[in-house]
Amino acid sequence: MATQPETPSIASAPPLTTAGRRSLLRQGRGGPKSRRSETLAAYLFLLPYLLVTGVFLVFVSLYGIGLSLFKVDIGFTTPEFVGFHYYQVLFNQLSDVADSDFWISMINIIKFVVVIVTFQTLLALVLAVLLQNSVLKKRPTLRGVFRTIFYIPALTSSVAVSLIFLWFYNPNGLFNYLLSLVHIPGPLWLEDPFWALPAIMILNIWTTGAAFMIYFLAALQDIPQELIEAAEVDGANRFQAFWNITLPLLRPAIFLVVALGTIGGFQMFDQVFFMTNPPGSPLNSTLTPLLEIYNEAFQNNRFGSAAAMSVILFAIILVVTLVQRRFIDTGQNA
Amino acid sequence: MAQTQAQVRTQAATQTVPTGRSRPFSWITIIFYILLIIFIISSIGPLIFSFFSSFKTFRDILAIPPTLLPQPWTWSNYATILNDSSFLRWILNALIYAVGALILNVLFSAMAGYALARMNFPGKNFIFVLTLSVMMIPMTVTIIPKFLVMNSLHLTNTYLALILPAMAQPFSVFVMAQFMKSLPKELEESAMIDGASRFRTFFQIILPLVKPALTAVAIVTFQGAWNDFLWPLIVLGSNNMYTLPLGLYFFKSAHYTEYNLLIAGSMFNTIPIVILFFIFQRYFIEGAVGSAVKG
Repeated sequence: MATQPETPSIASAPPLTTAGRRSLLRQGRGGPKSRRSETLAAYLFLLPYLLVTGVFLVFVSLYGIGLSLFKVDIGFTTPEFVGFHYYQVLFNQLSDVADSDFWISMINIIKFVVVIVTFQTLLALVLAVLLQNSVLKKRPTLRGVFRTIFYIPALTSSVAVSLIFLWFYNPNGLFNYLLSLVHIPGPLWLEDPFWALPAIMILNIWTTGAAFMIYFLAALQDIPQELIEAAEVDGANRFQAFWNITLPLLRPAIFLVVALGTIGGFQMFDQVFFMTNPPGSPLNSTLTPLLEIYNEAFQNNRFGSAAAMSVILFAIILVVTLVQRRFIDTGQNA
Repeated sequence: MAQTQAQVRTQAATQTVPTGRSRPFSWITIIFYILLIIFIISSIGPLIFSFFSSFKTFRDILAIPPTLLPQPWTWSNYATILNDSSFLRWILNALIYAVGALILNVLFSAMAGYALARMNFPGKNFIFVLTLSVMMIPMTVTIIPKFLVMNSLHLTNTYLALILPAMAQPFSVFVMAQFMKSLPKELEESAMIDGASRFRTFFQIILPLVKPALTAVAIVTFQGAWNDFLWPLIVLGSNNMYTLPLGLYFFKSAHYTEYNLLIAGSMFNTIPIVILFFIFQRYFIEGAVGSAVKG
């Protein structure tokens, strides 16, 4: 699933081993011979992991960057070095964005990310606060049931949810029926260039908001209850206590959810590929960068150009995440 | 555990100090209940409605007004799907991918986590930092070269192409290492004094103690592979190799407007995960959050 959290690592700093304990162990464990056998054993344990990561993450990333400097079409000609040609072509297209599929897809995805990250973070926070709050506190079992219910959307795969929402978004489907109950004429949703992207946003917010709720739940449980009670004793009402105490303490969790949401959102693919026909339609309104990269590689057989697009997309994701870190995370985890 | 403690504490607090909260109809409570009801409906409504609708006929599926319960009930959607021999094959392929990735990833990430958490060797810090860094590489950068690697290894359209990249995942290694760090050091020291080798210690002493982490990693791996769409789309080429999500895509293209069939088809993808969730609920949530927040 494109917007599913895959790399929840950003906010965490690994506690590394203390040098003291290590030297103590070394003293106790005798000479260099046993140390060498320990090293050997450790690398045997690590071997499968290092091989897989070495090939399918480290090598492949470097390969991808190198690939963007070559003209590669599998099965036709031998690779030809073209330098920064593809980057040049892509950046030249910036002068006429409306004519460039890649930059159109980039504008679409920026709109998409801004909307879904805002709303799914809010939704996740509201769900977590609801679960954590007063009335349910007295009924732990009931709270467990609600937590389960709220988490259900996160269990659905991008494919299953796309099939279900495809049906809801049918012009005669559930959504337009519900709108007709309040006398609003429903749009054609996925066939309307204006509504197609928002339609996909809605289903993403629905699934990802539920998934991120548990990050806020974990963070809320770590906030000492005494702090909030103390504030209430001092005369703060619940909103003030939430705004001035809970929310600042949630900053690391908010950063994590925003960053993971952004990284996932920029790489949205499955839902568009599944729900629009041909993918990216109508009028390129749902074209996403990953879809464009996929088309460039597997439809146009231009792997070098596709790799250059991936590198640009990666750079944008990286910059955005770093900016978010600067503004949201207070740096406690740095 | 911390959660139940907190619950006990707050329960005690509310019992001993009956404050102004006992007012029966404060407006904040009303808003709370309204929101609760809205989110309950929006969370399970779509799935429940879809589940019942998978028993509707083609004529009934877009009926206006829509009804929750099918009138009449029909098994024909499921019968049509199960008579489609490729559909069963897709389920089997998805199972092979998911179970293969699960077994290997649990084993290899536990091994790597063990080395990183409980052994001392040169290069350890480097590997730990590497693990954290590669977790941040988005698949955008890797997906095209990964395909080219598989292509030059002549592995496209095989189970190996699906399982190989998924069989030792950095995030799982990280979760395992964090979990194993919390075990007391004396455990394996006494085992080694008794003459057990590193490998026996790992398999017989450590692994049984980290079952929660193993389960969490197993579930996340299974769910990831079972639901994976993009990588199978890129690396698989023939109908008999498709996994279920990919098969559903082609099934959708063939039955574009037959929502009754599409919804029934989607149930084959969703229901196994929902069942797993109800059995292993705790591990789902631990696996998804990992030690990232608590770290």
